[in-house]
Amino acid sequence: MTLPLTTIVLLPLLGFLVNGLLGPRLGTRLVTVVGCGLPVLAFLVAVGAVMQLEAGDGAALVETLFTWAPFGERSLDVALYLDRLSAVMVLVVTGVGSLIHIYSVGYMKGDEGYARYFAYLNLFLFFMLLLVLGRSLLVLFVGWEGVGLASYLLIGFWFDDPAKAAAGKKAFITNRVGDAGFLLGMFVLYAALGTLEMDAVNAAAADGLLPAATATLVGVLLFVGATGKSAQIPLHVWLPDAMAGPTPVSALIHAATMVTAGVYLVARLAGVYQLSPEASLVLAVVGVATAFFAATVALVQTDIKKVLAYSTVSQLGFMVLALGVGAHGVAVFHLVTHAFFKACLFLGAGSVIHALGGEQDLRRMGGLARRIPITFVTFAVATAAIAGLPPLAGFFSKDEILWFALAGEQGGLLLFLVGAVTAFLTSLYMFRLLWLAFLTPSRMAPEVAAHVHESPRSMTGVLVVLALLSALGGFIAVPHYLEGLLPLPAVAPGRAAWHLPLALFAVALALGGLAAARHLFGGEARPAAALAARLATLHRVLTNKYYVDELYEGFIHRPLVWVADRVLLRVVDRLLMDGLLHGVASLARGSARALVRVQNGQLQRYGWLVLVGLGAGLLWTWPHV
Amino acid sequence: MSQLVIFFVFAAIMVFAGVMVITVRNAVHSALFLVLAFFSSAAIWLLMEAEFLAIVLVLVYVGAVMVLFLFVVMMLDVNTARLKEGFIRYLPVGLLVAVLIAFQLIMVVGGERFGLEDYPKPVPKAADYSNTEALGAVLYTEYLFAFEVAAVILLVAIVAAISLTMRRRNTVKTQKPEMQVAVRREDRIRIVSMASEPRNGREDGS
Amino acid sequence: MTDFVAITPELFLLTMACVVLIVDAFLPEAYRAVTYQLALMTLVITGGLTVALYPAEPQVVFHGAAVVDGMGSVLKAFIAGIAFFAFTYSKDYLRERNVFKGEYYVLGLFAVLGMMIMVSAHSLLTIYLGLELLSLCLYAMVAMHRDSADASEAAMKYFVLGALASGMLLYGISMIYGGTGTVDLGEIAAVVASGDIVDDTVLVFGLVFLVVGLAFKLGAVPFHMWLPDVYHGAPTAVTLFIGSAPKMAAFAMVMRVLVDGLEGLQADWQAMLVILSILSMAVGNVIAIAQTNLKRMFAYSTIAHVGFLILGVLSGTEAGYAASMFYAIVYAIMSLGGFGMIVLLSRGGFEADRLEDFKGLNERSPWFAFIMMVFLFSMAGVPPFVGFWAKWSVLREVVAADMVWLAVVAVVFSIIGAFYYLRVVKLMYFDKPEDASPITAGGDLQAAVSINGLAVLGLGLFPGALLTLCVAALAAS
Repeated sequence: MTLPLTTIVLLPLLGFLVNGLLGPRLGTRLVTVVGCGLPVLAFLVAVGAVMQLEAGDGAALVETLFTWAPFGERSLDVALYLDRLSAVMVLVVTGVGSLIHIYSVGYMKGDEGYARYFAYLNLFLFFMLLLVLGRSLLVLFVGWEGVGLASYLLIGFWFDDPAKAAAGKKAFITNRVGDAGFLLGMFVLYAALGTLEMDAVNAAAADGLLPAATATLVGVLLFVGATGKSAQIPLHVWLPDAMAGPTPVSALIHAATMVTAGVYLVARLAGVYQLSPEASLVLAVVGVATAFFAATVALVQTDIKKVLAYSTVSQLGFMVLALGVGAHGVAVFHLVTHAFFKACLFLGAGSVIHALGGEQDLRRMGGLARRIPITFVTFAVATAAIAGLPPLAGFFSKDEILWFALAGEQGGLLLFLVGAVTAFLTSLYMFRLLWLAFLTPSRMAPEVAAHVHESPRSMTGVLVVLALLSALGGFIAVPHYLEGLLPLPAVAPGRAAWHLPLALFAVALALGGLAAARHLFGGEARPAAALAARLATLHRVLTNKYYVDELYEGFIHRPLVWVADRVLLRVVDRLLMDGLLHGVASLARGSARALVRVQNGQLQRYGWLVLVGLGAGLLWTWPHV
Repeated sequence: MSQLVIFFVFAAIMVFAGVMVITVRNAVHSALFLVLAFFSSAAIWLLMEAEFLAIVLVLVYVGAVMVLFLFVVMMLDVNTARLKEGFIRYLPVGLLVAVLIAFQLIMVVGGERFGLEDYPKPVPKAADYSNTEALGAVLYTEYLFAFEVAAVILLVAIVAAISLTMRRRNTVKTQKPEMQVAVRREDRIRIVSMASEPRNGREDGS
Repeated sequence: MTDFVAITPELFLLTMACVVLIVDAFLPEAYRAVTYQLALMTLVITGGLTVALYPAEPQVVFHGAAVVDGMGSVLKAFIAGIAFFAFTYSKDYLRERNVFKGEYYVLGLFAVLGMMIMVSAHSLLTIYLGLELLSLCLYAMVAMHRDSADASEAAMKYFVLGALASGMLLYGISMIYGGTGTVDLGEIAAVVASGDIVDDTVLVFGLVFLVVGLAFKLGAVPFHMWLPDVYHGAPTAVTLFIGSAPKMAAFAMVMRVLVDGLEGLQADWQAMLVILSILSMAVGNVIAIAQTNLKRMFAYSTIAHVGFLILGVLSGTEAGYAASMFYAIVYAIMSLGGFGMIVLLSRGGFEADRLEDFKGLNERSPWFAFIMMVFLFSMAGVPPFVGFWAKWSVLREVVAADMVWLAVVAVVFSIIGAFYYLRVVKLMYFDKPEDASPITAGGDLQAAVSINGLAVLGLGLFPGALLTLCVAALAAS
C-alpha cells in the first residue's frame, strides 16, 4: 500500500523536524541536502501521484489518515484529496517551492540562521501542502493557519530589527481578521450541510441541498477569509510590509503560493459560488478594485520589492476578478502563470539586491543590464510576461480574464474597462521598473558599483528555469485541463466574435504601457519628473498608498485602543468581571474552609459519614419501596 | 418441637455472648465470650444440616483464630479505657442510624418477603448425604475461578503480613564460627616498616 | 478459545508474580533491580497477551465467573500499561527512601491481577474477590514505608474504611442474591428483565448497599473521606499507583454491577448517581482550592473527576458508557503524570508535594514546567489537551440524555476547578523558585514523565483513535 499524498505532505515536515531540532549540529552541507532534497523529493512524488491521477482519468485519489473526532454518527476525518485542481496546485507548490529552496542556498549562504531558515521554509511547505491537499475545510484551515504561522516566522526572520518583527505581527493580525470570517463561514456550512469535506459540499450544492441565501452567506464569509490571505481590499495592507522577510520568502510565500490560497479556496468551493451570483459579484468588484488600486500605487513606489508587492496584490485582484465572473479555471490558470513569472521577478530582484549588497531603492540603481546579464535577461522575460506580451505566459491568462470579464455571463463593461486600464498600468509600472533598474544610466554609489557581481550559479540557474516557464507556461492549457471540475462560464450572446479583436486590444495595451514607460523613464529628459510635478497631489496620494495605513490607524486602531482601555478594561474587566470573579473566588474559598473542617482526620467521623450516606440512600429509595 | 427449643437456647446464648464480647472490660474475657458465640452458632448450623460449616467454624475459628487472638491480647497490654474514647461521643448518632437501618432492614428482609410461603422449608436430606462431598464437588468445578482467586488473596495476605512486620536487622552482632576458625594471621595484623621518628615532636609537645 | 486460553494474561501474570516473589527472596540486596525489571517485563507481556487475545465477541468462561470482552480487554491492557509507568516512576523514589523492596513490585503485580479480575468479572462473587485482592495489596503498599507515621496512619484508615465498604458491598451482594437467587451477572440481568419479581424492594435495598460500596471505592462524596488522607499519607510512589489504574478498575466494577447486572433498575441507580456526581464535583472542586499540599489537592481533584466520570454512566446509554470509559482511561493517564511530576521533583528524603515546591519551575527546567502545564491544563479541561475531550464527550452524553441542567452544573464546577490548576501554572511560570537547583532525577524517570506528558498532548490532538476504541470496545461487550 503506497500513500503518495501522505508522503508528499510528510516529507517537508520531516525536513522541518530534522533541521529544526538538529539543525545547528548538522553543518551547512547536511542542512542543505535535507532542506532542499526533501522538497524536490516531494515534487517527484507529486509528479508520480499526478500521473496516477491521470492514469485513472482524473478520478480523485483519497487517503484517509485518521478520524480526528467522532461525533456519534458524524466524524471529522483527516483525509487528503487529489483531483485535477489540487494536482495543479501541488505541482506549483512543490515545483516552484523546490526551485526557491535551491535558490535560497546561495541567497542565505553564511546567514546565522541558515538551518532555522530552511526549517521554517520546510514547515511552510508542509502546511501549504496540507492546505492544498486537505479534503475537509478543517484540514485546509489547519494548513491555512499553519502557513500564516510560517509566514509570520519568516517575515520576522531577522527579528532583531523591530520594524521587521512588527511587519510579521501586522501580517499575522490582519490575517486573523480574515480568519474570523473563514471560521464563521465554516460554522454556517457545517450547520447547513453537516459536512466539511469539500467534494461533498460541492456535490451537495450541485444537488440543490444548499439554499441560495446560505450559499451567499457562506461565500461572502469565506471570501472575507480569502481577502485576508490573498491581500484584497481592505485587508491588503500586510503584504507590502511583509517584504521585510528574506527575498526568496517573498517569492515563495508572498507571490507564488500562500497568497494564492484564497483563490484556491474559492475555486475549490466553486459549487457554492456558482449558486450565488451575489457573492460572485462581491468577488468581482473587490477583485477589480484591488487590481486597479494596487497598480496605481505600484506606479510610484521606489523600493524594488514594494513595486513587486503591489504588483502581486494587483495580479491577485485579477485572479479574484476571474473568480467573480465565474471563470474559476481561468483564475487558476493565472495563478499558475503568475507563480512562474512573479517568482522569477522576485528572485531576480533578490539577485539584484544580492548584487548591490542589500540596496533596494530604484533611485540608486540603473545600468545593471550589462553588469548582471543573466539576471537582466530573465527579469526582462518575466516582465514581458506579466505585462501580457504574446506569446509569453501572462498574455494568455490575462487575455482570458479580460475576455470573460467582458463577454462572460456575469461580466460587464465596467469590470472590463477597469481591468483593461489596469492591464495597461501593469505594463507601465513593470517596464518602469525594468528601465529604472537595468537600462537607465547608473545612479549607484561608486563603492556599491564596484562590487556588483552576478549571483552564483544555483541562483541564476533557478532564474533561467523560471524565465523559461514564464515564457512557455501559457501553452499549458490549464482551464481546459480543469474544465471537468470547473466549467467555464457561458459567453453572453452576440459577443463570441469579439475574442480576436480583444486579444489584439490586449496586446496593444501591453505595448502601450511599454511605450509609455520608454517615453517617461527611458530617456535623459526625465519627463516623469515633470509629470509628477504636474500631478503633485495625486503623486503624493499614490506614494502614500492612498493613506490606507493612516486611515486604519485613525479610524480603527485608535478607537479600538480607546474602547479597549476605557470601556473594556476599566469598566467591564476591572469592575464587572474582576468583581464577579473575586466574589465567586472568595465564596469558593470560604466554603472550602468550612468544608475542610469536616475532614478532621478522625476515623470515627469518616465511618459515621458513611453510615449517614447509607441511611440517606436507603431513605431516598424508601418512597419507591 | 425439640429442634425449636434447641434453636432458641443456642440463639439466646449466642446473642448474650455477642453482647458480652463488646461490653466486658477485660479483653481476655471478651475473646472467651467470642468463643462461646462461635460454639453456639456452630450448633445452630448443625441444626440446619450444615455439618461441614459447623465443624470448620469450630476447627478454624475456635481452634486457630481465637487462640491466636488470645495470645495477642495477653501479650499486648491493651488499654481498655483508650479504646472506648470517642465511643460515647458517637454513640447517640450511631445508635440512631443503626436503629433506623435495622428497622428498614427488618421491614425489607422480614417475613413479609422471605416468609415460608415464598421460601418453603427445605426437605431434610437423607442420612447418607455428605455435605462435604457436595461442597467439594462444586468448589473445584463451578467455583474453581473464585476458589483460586481466594487462594491468591491468602497468598497476598501472607506476603503483606511478612513484608510489613519482618525487619531484617543489620545491627545485630552475631558470631560466625566458621570465619573465626578460618582466620589467618594476615587478616588481623599488619607489619609496617618505617623509619624511626625524630624525638623533637615529643619535646615540642611537652 | 477454551476457558484457560481466554484468561492467559491473568494466568501469566499470576505465575510471574509468584516467580518474582521467589526470585526476590533469594536475591541479594544489590541485585534488587532484577526484581524491578522482571516486574516490568511481566506487565509488558501481560498487556501484549491481552491485546493479542482481544475477543471478537464476549465469551463467558468458568461457569459464569469471568467474561472476556472488548471493554475488559481494553481496560486490562491500559491497566498493565499504566502500572508499567507507575513502576518506572517509583524506582528512584523507593530507592532513596530505603524501601526499594521486592514486595512493592510483587504486591503491585498482585494488585494488577486483582484489577484484571475485577475488570473481567461476570459474577458478583468474582467482583468481590478481585476487589479484595486489589485492596489488600493497596493497604500493604500504603503501609510499606514503616518509618513514616503518616503512611501507617493512612494505611490504618484505608484498611478500616475499606473493610466497612467491603461489608456494605457484601451485604448488598447477599441481598441481590436473596432477591434473584444467583450471583451471576447475566442471570441477575435476566431475572430482573423477566419481570418475575413483583416486589423488587429487596433488590433496591441491595442496590443501595452496592452503590455505597462502589461509591466508596471510587471515592465519591460522601464516601470519599478516606481518599485525601490516604493520598496524602501514602508514599508518593504508592499514591500514583493507587490514584491511576484502580480508577479504571473501579469504573469497570461500576459497569459490571450496575449495567451488566442491574440495568433493569436503572431508574433507581440513576438518581443516586446524579446526587453522588453533583456532590463529588462540588465538594472536590471547592475543597481543592483551599489546599496547599499538591498531593492533597490532586486527591480532591480526583474526587471531582470521579463526579465527572459518573456523569457518563448515569446517562444510561452505550455512548455514555463509552464516554465514561474514555474519561477513566484519560484520567488515569493524567493523574499518573501529575503524581509522577511530584516524584520527579522529589529527591533525597525531600518530598516536593507542597505548592511552593513548584514555584518557578520554568526557570529550573522549562521542559518539565511545560509537561506539568500540559497535565494541569488537561485536568482543568482546556483544549486541545485530552482532558478537554474527556469532559466534552461526557457532557455531550449528559445533554443527549436530556439532563442539560446537570451539564450546566458540571461546567460551572469545572470552571471553579480550573482555578486551582491554573494557580499551579502561575506558580511555575511567574514566581521565583525557592530552590533553584536543577532537576536531578534519573534519565529513565525523565523520559517516562516526558512520554506521559506527550501522550496527554498527543491524545488531545488526535483523540479520535481512543474515542473510537472505547466505542468499539463497548459495542463488543
